[in-house]
Amino acid sequence: MTIQATTLADNKGIKISINERFDFSLHQQFRDTYQNCNDNGAEFTLDLSNTTYMDSSALGMILLLKDHADKLSGKVVISKPNEAVNKILEIAQFHRLMPIEA
Amino acid sequence: MTPFAMKKDIKLALVVDDSPMQCKVLGVLLKEEGYRVFTANDGARGVDMYIKYKPDLVLMDINMPVMNGYEAARKIKSFSQTSLCPLIFITSMDSDQAFIESIDAGGDGILVRPFSPEVFKAKIKSIQRISDLYGQVKRLQQEQQQDAELAEQLMSGVIESRNYALDRIGIVKKPAALFSGDIQLTALSPNGDINILLGDFTGHGLRSSIGAIPLSETFRAMTKKGFSLLEIIAQVNRQLHNLLPPDLFLGAAFVTISSHDSTAYIFNAGLPDCYIYNGVGEIKHKILSSHPPMGVLPTLIGSTKPHVVVVEETDRIVLISDGIVEARNDVGEMFEFERFEEATKQGVLAGNISESVLDAVNEFCQNMPQEDDISLIDIPCSGWQQTFTVSNVSEDTLINSRKQKINAESPAWTWKLKLTGKRLAEINPIPMAMSQIQDIEGNAEHWQSLFTILTELFVNSLDHGVLGLSSDLKNSPEGFVEYFTERDSRLQQLDNGFVDIELNYFPFDLGGKLVVKILDSGTGFDHRKKHSFSQHELNDKVQLCGRGIELVKQLCESMDYYDGGRAVEAAYVWSS
Repeated sequence: MTIQATTLADNKGIKISINERFDFSLHQQFRDTYQNCNDNGAEFTLDLSNTTYMDSSALGMILLLKDHADKLSGKVVISKPNEAVNKILEIAQFHRLMPIEA
Repeated sequence: MTPFAMKKDIKLALVVDDSPMQCKVLGVLLKEEGYRVFTANDGARGVDMYIKYKPDLVLMDINMPVMNGYEAARKIKSFSQTSLCPLIFITSMDSDQAFIESIDAGGDGILVRPFSPEVFKAKIKSIQRISDLYGQVKRLQQEQQQDAELAEQLMSGVIESRNYALDRIGIVKKPAALFSGDIQLTALSPNGDINILLGDFTGHGLRSSIGAIPLSETFRAMTKKGFSLLEIIAQVNRQLHNLLPPDLFLGAAFVTISSHDSTAYIFNAGLPDCYIYNGVGEIKHKILSSHPPMGVLPTLIGSTKPHVVVVEETDRIVLISDGIVEARNDVGEMFEFERFEEATKQGVLAGNISESVLDAVNEFCQNMPQEDDISLIDIPCSGWQQTFTVSNVSEDTLINSRKQKINAESPAWTWKLKLTGKRLAEINPIPMAMSQIQDIEGNAEHWQSLFTILTELFVNSLDHGVLGLSSDLKNSPEGFVEYFTERDSRLQQLDNGFVDIELNYFPFDLGGKLVVKILDSGTGFDHRKKHSFSQHELNDKVQLCGRGIELVKQLCESMDYYDGGRAVEAAYVWSS
């Protein structure tokens, strides 16, 4: 599986892990992971530690996730992007929109 | 008008069978179904007939002299790649092998003898139904392709053909799909500055190019009205945020090249680094992305402002989208920045950056399919000085102007705006004034000079009067940047002070006169002293009689300071 979603122990959110390429082909799958999580204040952790490549559609998909989280007064945290992926996040200045944890 | 109008009513069928009896039987059945029938008695003749008549249906025997049915079917199918002409094998060989070979040879079905006339007709109907569907899909596909090509033509017509100075600004554009998600815009502002944008919408294809039209309209209209780069960026961001879905946005670099001092304003929101190369191919600056792409946030982040860079005449600014650095070769390596920088350096030395970079990318990728839009803009930093046509006012108009001075008390209209404190820091009144003039008096060429006059006088009153900045800072490159930093910080702290603008319009028979009065809350300066300045006063003299004011003096019939230098009145006269 390229995408794995784990519900956090306290039931207060989801950890979404993405392996290898994060691009438009994952669009539907990615949405499916969070669409049914409607708990108020939910925290979505996007684990990119195994993501090797990310394109601009992926940035768009993260923004859609953020939109979803904002509606629930929740938040999105990006976790452990590698150097190449971090460069893309940096160019898009995503650290101004959500926390990025090394 | 429907494209189906040309469709012929009578369908043609070709029967290929070495038995004249069989041909006759099948022919009768087909005629009952409304077909016109041709027959051939061997495969080779069948192929010839197919080429000659282009039938809508072929019935093919398998065992025939000269050329058997399989071979004839292969030949026929090789001629009919673009249209589906259904081909049915008619045979007595009821074996799996015959069935498989028939389909392999390109047959669309097989009918095994003996069969009743009803079964035969049913088979023909079903195969014809599939063939009609195929034809419909094909037509729809062609129509869609034509529509897409037309849309693309219109779009690039609207967007790129209206770009300014294409002879001097190098633009590379290689879309990955029919529609490009990358957009390149250049436009001339009324004071002669050039605004340039390189944008990269998320993804590619039609979906990503949909934002291009509102973007180019906003960029052009605001540039034309003389809005500053930051105002344009703020509006583009707001507009794209309102128009586009959340996952669709625009990585963009904005550049303004000043026409009268050696500065460039650069703002990078979500594109790879912007480069400034000097004349020998060295990188002087890289401007990194400092803001999320346009359309992501509802408004710009508070502290946003373009970088101010001092440029030399031989410098070149190079903007790229990620398509170049992410282009891949056949072993999956990316072109990367190092190769790009080297190719650009060679391009600077050879005097053709676009060509050098494009050649290098092509050589690197060889025949690999292009995954993303590729674009580059190469901007020279010199040659933008404007040649104003000064004093082309005819004698008649001047005489007229003097005569009518008696009526100076009663202008045709007056427009006033007084900006104070915070609003003065935030609002640019010049586009408002210009739009007022154009709304009342219509569009005209000579308003360009007026724009320059208004801008220079207003900026002088704001910078030197209200903000008390001294322009001698601008004498060195470091000072230049310092000047703008200081200006920004003083503007942010501005909570009192004002600038008062008044326009009075006097129409003549052949032309007219516009009197501009600007008053500021500053301490003024001694405008009558001509000699023996103290060092401090000399600085003031330099700032007030800088290039800007000299230009205003040349453009105006008269320009005078009064009220201790706090007020200025300039009269601009034109003939039509």
